[in-house]
Amino acid sequence: MSLLEVRDVTRRFGGLTAVDGVSFDVHEGSIKAIIGPNGAGKSTLFNVLTGFDRPDEGSVSFQGRELTGERPHKVVLRGVARTFQNTQLFEEMTALENVLVGRHARTRTGFIAAALRLPGTGTEEKLAREEAARLLRLLGLESWTDSPAADMPHGLRRLLEIARALATGPTLMLLDEPAAGLNHAETATLAEALYRIRDAGVTLVVVEHDMGLVMEISDEIVVLDQGRKIAEGPPRLIQKDPEVLRAYLGQEDEDE
Amino acid sequence: MRRGVLKFAPLAIGSLVVACMPLLVDDRYLLKVLSFVAINVVIVTGLALLFGYAGQISLGHAAFYGIGAYASGYATTTLGLPWIVGLIAAILLSALGGVLLALPSLRLKGHYLAMATLGFGEIMRIAFVEAQPITGGPDGLGSIPYPSIGSFEMSAPVGTYLLAWGAAGLTLLLATNIVRQRPGRAMRALHGSELGAMACGIDIVGLKVRVFTVSAVLAGVAGSLYAHLVGFVSPSTFSLHFSVILIAMAVLGGSGSLAGPFVATALLTLLPFADAIIPGLSRDALALIQDWEADVYGLIIILVMLFAPGGVAGMLRRRRRGAGVRP
Repeated sequence: MSLLEVRDVTRRFGGLTAVDGVSFDVHEGSIKAIIGPNGAGKSTLFNVLTGFDRPDEGSVSFQGRELTGERPHKVVLRGVARTFQNTQLFEEMTALENVLVGRHARTRTGFIAAALRLPGTGTEEKLAREEAARLLRLLGLESWTDSPAADMPHGLRRLLEIARALATGPTLMLLDEPAAGLNHAETATLAEALYRIRDAGVTLVVVEHDMGLVMEISDEIVVLDQGRKIAEGPPRLIQKDPEVLRAYLGQEDEDE
Repeated sequence: MRRGVLKFAPLAIGSLVVACMPLLVDDRYLLKVLSFVAINVVIVTGLALLFGYAGQISLGHAAFYGIGAYASGYATTTLGLPWIVGLIAAILLSALGGVLLALPSLRLKGHYLAMATLGFGEIMRIAFVEAQPITGGPDGLGSIPYPSIGSFEMSAPVGTYLLAWGAAGLTLLLATNIVRQRPGRAMRALHGSELGAMACGIDIVGLKVRVFTVSAVLAGVAGSLYAHLVGFVSPSTFSLHFSVILIAMAVLGGSGSLAGPFVATALLTLLPFADAIIPGLSRDALALIQDWEADVYGLIIILVMLFAPGGVAGMLRRRRRGAGVRP
């Protein structure tokens, strides 16, 4: 059964159709990549899938239930986490605190319970800290535990955002260009982390420009161009698809 | 273990000094001034949660202070109800005001939110003047009784002093518990990145409403304490001027801290009453300070923003970090 079903999703901004009737499925336990040239509508599609934006037409369902129109925090509670193309970390908070905020969705202590330290709040806090520490270890960030996010190098910040997304306890995780700005070694670390996350039972959807990484990790690829899906399939078929080559290398009549 | 004891030593000594102050000094004026410090600590702690943790500005906090003061005053004088009912009325009405002010905050940010809250403060100030049957209009509301429970009256200066500092201590304790746990992290996350906060499952609409309400309630409680301490309230107390002083305390105190705003509140509250703590201060010097009070506050905001954006909290953090590095 497919975990995520995207059906005829269209999103327009004024006269521009950023996403145009896109449909695809994401199967449980797989890694799916969404690729396409700049302006192909990848980020808009991501925002629609995570509740940050609403489609003008079409629908998204997750685990067989409608997801379209849910507010972002509700989408997170349903088990869909995301990262951002421009990392949205809490710069002044430490790495551990950033991941702890990710636990927000799975913890309950409110203002009154916290103020009065009601029974259960201490235990919940302790468990959340243990889980956050475990996730930092999973992504190899334990030595940065008490450093403010602002002090961390770019590559590790991307991993921290992934750790934070994992802390929300997702079934499906959407990563928006996780390898952007990473060097070779960092990209290799990232790929390894993504495998570990998938093996832990989290299904992944990755928007990515780094073709090497996409071809290596993904089970299936969706190719977008000018808002439309132009191809879908396993990496080795996508590599040979004439439509995809044309989208990436430019139209023949534009060539010299 | 020893380090743990040392960490709490300043807090314990501070609390002891505050609690024993009425035994040490027999000066009505000084105790009253120190009570004002405690009342301002209550309201600025609320502002620290709103501004320093959640990153939401309010230039209308004097209005909640006023709502609390009038609610408590009206209930205990005109209606003749017990003090505790006045306090509860102050809490409920300021909470309602907080929810109302939270509504614009859901759509507005930065300067625009500042303008909206400023407008709210002005509307309430005019309402205090115009609603004569309740507030007494420009003449104010007088003969508000001292706080009492049954036949036990907390009269000035000692009773009200202890009540005010009890409220300040309780406020700091509850606020510390909040900022160290889940809601405190959510507030700092909201301040850091709204998108990031949403992606962590934080309902930012609900969170903003809650923070505004908590902050408004603390201001309302402070207003109630003020009304029963002074015994008289009039609209001029709840002007923009007071809101700006409160912001000055929060800014000088620094963001992401409760200790910083506490220190800043004590300093800035004592400034116009310098004669209470410096015995030999000449009348001319005091008059000079009081004439230039507003300018001093404005200057403090500008200087802190330019040279020490972290405020008192930033300085405390630097000292602690420096001390930690030493072998």
